[in-house]
Amino acid sequence: MAVAGIAKKIPFWRNYQVLRWTTQIVSGVAVVGLVAWLAIRMVSAIEERSIPVGFGFLSRSYGGPIGHHFFPYNPSTTAADTADSFLYSLLVAAGNTVVLSIIGVVLATILGIFIGVSRLSGNWLVSRLSLSYVEFFRNVPLLIQLYFWFTVSLALPPVSSGIRIGDLFINNGGISFPWPSPTGVSPTVSWLVLAFLSLVASYFVYRRRFRLEVRTGQPSYPILSGCLAALVLGAVAWILITAVTDTAPFVVTYPAPQGRFGRISGGTTVPAALIVLLIGLVMYTAAFIAEIVRAGIQSVRKGQREAARSLGLNNMRSLRYVVFPQALRVIVPPLISQFLNLTKNSSLAVAIGYSDLLSVAKTMTQIAPALSIFILVLLIYLVISLAYSLIGNIYNRTTRISNR
Amino acid sequence: MSDPQPVSASGKALPPPRTERGALGWLRVNLFGGWRSSLLTLIFSATAGAALFYGLRWVFVQANWRIVAEMGGRIAIGSYNTVDNCALQNCYWRPQVVLLGFILILGMAWGVAGKGMTKRIALGAAIVLSLLAFLPYSWEDMGIGVRLLLGANLPALGLGWLLSRYTPLRTYFRISLFAVAWFVLSMVLLRGISGVPGMQPVSVYAWGGFMVNLILAVGGIALSLPIGILLALGRRSETPLVNMRIPVGKHRTLKWRQRLPIVKFLCVVFIEVFRGVPLLALLFLSQYLLPLAMPEGFFLTSIPLLRTAIVITLFSAAYMAENVRGGLQGLHPGQAEAARALGLSGLSTIRLITLPQALRNVIPAIVGQFISLFKDTTLIYVIGVLEVVQIGRSFIQGNIQTWAGSEIEYFLFIAVLFWIFTYGMSRISRQVEEKLGASSRARN
Repeated sequence: MAVAGIAKKIPFWRNYQVLRWTTQIVSGVAVVGLVAWLAIRMVSAIEERSIPVGFGFLSRSYGGPIGHHFFPYNPSTTAADTADSFLYSLLVAAGNTVVLSIIGVVLATILGIFIGVSRLSGNWLVSRLSLSYVEFFRNVPLLIQLYFWFTVSLALPPVSSGIRIGDLFINNGGISFPWPSPTGVSPTVSWLVLAFLSLVASYFVYRRRFRLEVRTGQPSYPILSGCLAALVLGAVAWILITAVTDTAPFVVTYPAPQGRFGRISGGTTVPAALIVLLIGLVMYTAAFIAEIVRAGIQSVRKGQREAARSLGLNNMRSLRYVVFPQALRVIVPPLISQFLNLTKNSSLAVAIGYSDLLSVAKTMTQIAPALSIFILVLLIYLVISLAYSLIGNIYNRTTRISNR
Repeated sequence: MSDPQPVSASGKALPPPRTERGALGWLRVNLFGGWRSSLLTLIFSATAGAALFYGLRWVFVQANWRIVAEMGGRIAIGSYNTVDNCALQNCYWRPQVVLLGFILILGMAWGVAGKGMTKRIALGAAIVLSLLAFLPYSWEDMGIGVRLLLGANLPALGLGWLLSRYTPLRTYFRISLFAVAWFVLSMVLLRGISGVPGMQPVSVYAWGGFMVNLILAVGGIALSLPIGILLALGRRSETPLVNMRIPVGKHRTLKWRQRLPIVKFLCVVFIEVFRGVPLLALLFLSQYLLPLAMPEGFFLTSIPLLRTAIVITLFSAAYMAENVRGGLQGLHPGQAEAARALGLSGLSTIRLITLPQALRNVIPAIVGQFISLFKDTTLIYVIGVLEVVQIGRSFIQGNIQTWAGSEIEYFLFIAVLFWIFTYGMSRISRQVEEKLGASSRARN
């Protein structure tokens, strides 16, 4: 129905199309202008004070110490043995952050689920204790918690008079224990490749047994078969490699005090700073995860629990088979953002001296352009965040209720 | 017909058995309701009891709390009143007057909120602060001026309560305006004005202690919410708020599409970058970047405290934007359409209809972000600001002979200090939620 009387032309300051484009152009120009002005000022200041910039330093060798590294790193700078480049060192440090984040995430999720479920326990003491845990660890800043654990760890005995339990050494430098170390490129790498292939094969074994169980209804132990297949194939590969190359792929080294100060060498040493960081991060993040889990479980309709009870499932079983899978849909998105928070909070390692990405980058700024290094650091963190968000998005998409 | 009640020999109705009522009944159900539950009760009460015993014994017998007594006012104001920064050492009244002002505002908030958590927190804070006036320090260490100003907190609370009852300052909105004005005034007061007697300038580099944490938190909270709201609205500006067709001329209609893709793109980039990187990395970057980009001596970026304020505010605004966006997404689109039908313009719709409802829905998330912001103020030490954590650490490191073992006592003290504030914030938010009718309890 045409409305009679639209004869007056709309003035341009109320014409929404004009307004729309004006605001966009104005805001775009303003932001671009601001950024350009800042960039020009920066460039001129850099030239003025001859501050080094540029990414050429990445290929130079670094040679600085990285206290602990999960991936191989070579800091020596003798003539025969050039140290790894800046770029590789940054990537090793980034690897530290990623491995730390994965371990922390797994531990925090386990602890968080445990505490979250305890919050809803029928036992008054258990639910009140987990409430106090959550309320305490959520509200105290993480930095204070880390300093606290760090100070506690300093109370451990020094290396020379540390605790020794068989082959396990505990002192204020960390915990040392026996660990397999690679023996050489060809036996180790070839076994690793064969081990990976055997894992893939065992996955297919698992899948086949699972489908068999679904089809016939008879138990065929898919998980057990998969694990057995992995073990058997791995052992076969080990024997093969040992026979062919005359050396085992891995050899176990034992930690032992050496030299004047009794420093531990051999085996592997998990540095105290890493343990402190993990304990602090895990306990802090688990408090948040506990609340998320509790909210998720409480979001499942009460009727589900009642129906499960009436089917004869007790509390534990109804939680595991009925309530928790439904709660997952509510739990996972905020859980992913807590994983992200843990990864970002791991940058607090710079406060307690663990060599994660930010702390190594900070040391590097003493001998390399600070601006370029921090831009790289930001990019690496953005990539890690994107990876976690992608995983979360994939999960959301696959579990989305179709009518939303 | 109901079940017949058990009857005693004389014909009177019997109460339930003793093991099912009162304390015994509660114990039976809540602590010993089954063999698993009983086992858990035994294990946890044993471990909790042991932890409590050893913990309390350490706190009261073995720990050396003298570090807290020795540091005293430095925990609160850092080196504000030391000889280096305030020659006559008479600057202590300025932070205290600022505190009095905020207790006044707290009193006003109590006046408006009425009974409940706010009242308890307001009274508790004022009483504790007033009691601090009676600390057993010598008259030299803690003079009469300091004590009087501390003791004045209780009357200040009462004055605030009276003001909110009998003056036009009786809505949350007006109190917030007053708080903003007081905040600006207190910055001037703390900084001092040269030439005015009694207000000699104290360099911002000297500000330290818990005061710095509070200043950053209050400023950050106040600024990051509006910026976050703007960012969230900007991010949503590509999707049409309302689907409508407008007739123009006899046979044509315009589809109403409010699309601002450039604005949305800018907002998305900002939010994702600031959310994807740790705050520490941003603080380090700002230390190198901002002095280069801004003119030399530009006050906002040459003072470390203000640099961190900017970075923390923008960082928190990105998270706030995501929370507000969640609230906006949960809003029914019919609300905006109805507002359009009533003739409200876009801006009025957002201001009167969309935002109040969206914000009400996400108050817990917003307050959670406020609490995170407050906790993140501990990270600013990387720029060289001595806030409450670092003032203690630097004091202990500086006098390592005397205080070598006292770090844990100090960290526990400030942990409890932070805990009081953050827990209080989350409880107050619950009361605000109920008052605004946002919580599910109020709605049912």
